[in-house]
Amino acid sequence: MLKNKKVRPLRAISLLLLVAFFLAFFSSCQYKEVKIRKPPSNRHQSFNFLARKGMVVAAHPLAAQAGLEMLKEGGNAVDAAITASFALNVCEPFASGIGGGGFMVIYLASEKRITIINFREKAPSKTFAEILKEKEETKNFGLAVAVPGALAGWSYALRKYGTRNLADVMEGAIEMAEKGFTVSQTLSLINKDEFEKLILNAGEKTCYLNQGLPYEPGDLFENPELASTFRLICSKGIDEFYQDEIAKKIVKAVKDKGGVMTLEDLAAYEPIEQTPLEGSYKDYRVFTVPPPGSGGIHLIQLLNIIENWPIKKWGHNSTPYIHHFCEALRFIFSDREHYLGDPDFVDIPIARIISKEYAAEVASKIKPDRLLDDYPFGEFEEKAQKKESTTHLCVIDQEGNIVSQTQSINDFFGSGIVPEGTGILLNNHMDDFSSAPCSPNAPRPLQRPVSSMGPLIIFKKEEPFLVLGSPGGTRIFSSLTQIIINIIEFGMSLDEAIEAPRFFSFSEQGKAGSISLESRFPAQTLETLKRIGHEVTIKEAFDKYFGGAQGIMIIPRKKLILGGADSRRDGYGAGY
Amino acid sequence: MTELLLLSLFTGWILAQEKNISLLFEEPFLITSAGQSADVQLASILAKRAGIASVLSKLATPEELENAKTLVLVLGASLKGLGAAGLDMEKEKRRVNSIIEEAQKKNIPILCLHLGGEARRGQLSDELASVCLARAKMAIVVKGGNKDGFFTRKCREYNIPLVEVEKTVDALMPLMQKQISG
Repeated sequence: MLKNKKVRPLRAISLLLLVAFFLAFFSSCQYKEVKIRKPPSNRHQSFNFLARKGMVVAAHPLAAQAGLEMLKEGGNAVDAAITASFALNVCEPFASGIGGGGFMVIYLASEKRITIINFREKAPSKTFAEILKEKEETKNFGLAVAVPGALAGWSYALRKYGTRNLADVMEGAIEMAEKGFTVSQTLSLINKDEFEKLILNAGEKTCYLNQGLPYEPGDLFENPELASTFRLICSKGIDEFYQDEIAKKIVKAVKDKGGVMTLEDLAAYEPIEQTPLEGSYKDYRVFTVPPPGSGGIHLIQLLNIIENWPIKKWGHNSTPYIHHFCEALRFIFSDREHYLGDPDFVDIPIARIISKEYAAEVASKIKPDRLLDDYPFGEFEEKAQKKESTTHLCVIDQEGNIVSQTQSINDFFGSGIVPEGTGILLNNHMDDFSSAPCSPNAPRPLQRPVSSMGPLIIFKKEEPFLVLGSPGGTRIFSSLTQIIINIIEFGMSLDEAIEAPRFFSFSEQGKAGSISLESRFPAQTLETLKRIGHEVTIKEAFDKYFGGAQGIMIIPRKKLILGGADSRRDGYGAGY
Repeated sequence: MTELLLLSLFTGWILAQEKNISLLFEEPFLITSAGQSADVQLASILAKRAGIASVLSKLATPEELENAKTLVLVLGASLKGLGAAGLDMEKEKRRVNSIIEEAQKKNIPILCLHLGGEARRGQLSDELASVCLARAKMAIVVKGGNKDGFFTRKCREYNIPLVEVEKTVDALMPLMQKQISG
């Protein structure tokens, strides 16, 4: 009897514990709703967008939102990326669009496979060796226009890897172009910077000016002609752009400005699908675009060199870190100038350039307390550094598919040439060729110019960890490397890593170029760098010279997605 | 009757102020940059639209003041613009100082314009702006560029009038000839 009385309470307690255990177990399996927080009004303050199922990070809130809506409607990452791309063409017209080109890195979760869509522009078939020199002498800006690849690339990606059609992904952009959007300070300032080019090439009546003057923040920007162009493409397909009426208008506009593009050039354009370039940094694997994208190959090269040094011990943005990093950049720019071109036209020793052995050789040459007198190989053209343009977007969907996409029309507002009635800004990517006749990147018919773009996906233990990319011309791979090191070595959160102060250097004719730094570096650091022998140039505190990175970080154990958007441009994340 | 008289006097005073502005700044204008931002091109377009005779010279030298009656300095530093012009800030400061000195020797009044708004402010822009404002007769600025009161303080310090406009397109309205009564 006594024994029975003792057993009943014990059984009850056991039962209660069992119930409590199961309740705890099941509740941990449920997704907790992520609280949607608004970013702070001070955009420079570090802020990570949060999500559980999917995220789009892009250089404009409207584009990020457009991509997110597509994800919520059941579209996949490719659908959302193309939706955001068309939206960016409308709301960030100065940095990308169907008049330009770019690269897309796609991770297909079900196949655990990465593929690259290369929609980089091509030189027209009538390109000649002196084309850049002639452009400078005659100011015939049509000579700077390369055959656009963006629309063909987006369409290819959508057909092969998306689940929606062109009309679905263009709908939001058409509405935005018709109804207009509010001009940001970024757009207004860039519009003012490029005012002279737009007046000259697009004319006073262009929609890219507000009644012949730059847009002010708060103005409404409408582009009804672009909306009509988009509608035409929706109804007739991309052949309308590459072969039919729009093609004729493009060729006429280019020829009116002294260019050499033909209808056959447009009709012949096709994007290409490539195998990604792979590298590693410690336990992390990096997948990125191969040449003619130079951002990827040089990022891998730079990470390989840095791997030889005690970065963590030196400390974030310490003098030894900056000094060694910049010396490494100077060697890399020599390699860039010496080797990089379109692999369809030139042989590039890619495997050698991204080998750990070569990196160790370079690292061993660098002295801790002084600059080297000489940096072997090639030249880095000062002119090529000035571009801050281009845009990047990242997407992840709830199946785990990922897109990391960088695209551009080259300089802000490209060539400034707008084919009549189309609302399309044409690129000036012929300027990415080298004017040195013996360069592997000299202009040749149908060649793709070397690009600084380097969108990437990083894996940690076989799972996607970081999706990243940036505009910023030749500073792209340097800025991306600093962000990656900030996260992996210095333990920063994604947006903290993106907002952290940046620097850049290069070499020119074998001699060290100056180090450019954002003004947030301490005076003592600058003094020490100068004592070592560096020339130092100070930029703005958050200078878009160093790019405008967008990133996504995946934390599988927390089932959390973080989005980081650069305050140097109008970056924004949208997730659910 | 008294009210009518007061109103007439007031209107006359306003018109006289505008006439005073126009007398202060006679045509033709020599428009140049102080900092090489792209806003100098904008100032030239605005002058044309306002019907003001002007010459644009982004890198104007003292010799170019020969035929000018007013020197317009369009404030705003741009590293991109400086690079495109083959200058650095020190060279640009020397150029601007030299043209200001020449203008003062010839008794040519200086008008400062700041058209770029908040985004066209910063350490480099403000340093050069201070130099220019110290010797100017007047400043016209787009309001967005004066949110922190920088131009208000400087104009007060140098005892020169400050005209704030809402938008860039209005910047030269105070100088438009049609507003001036004979």
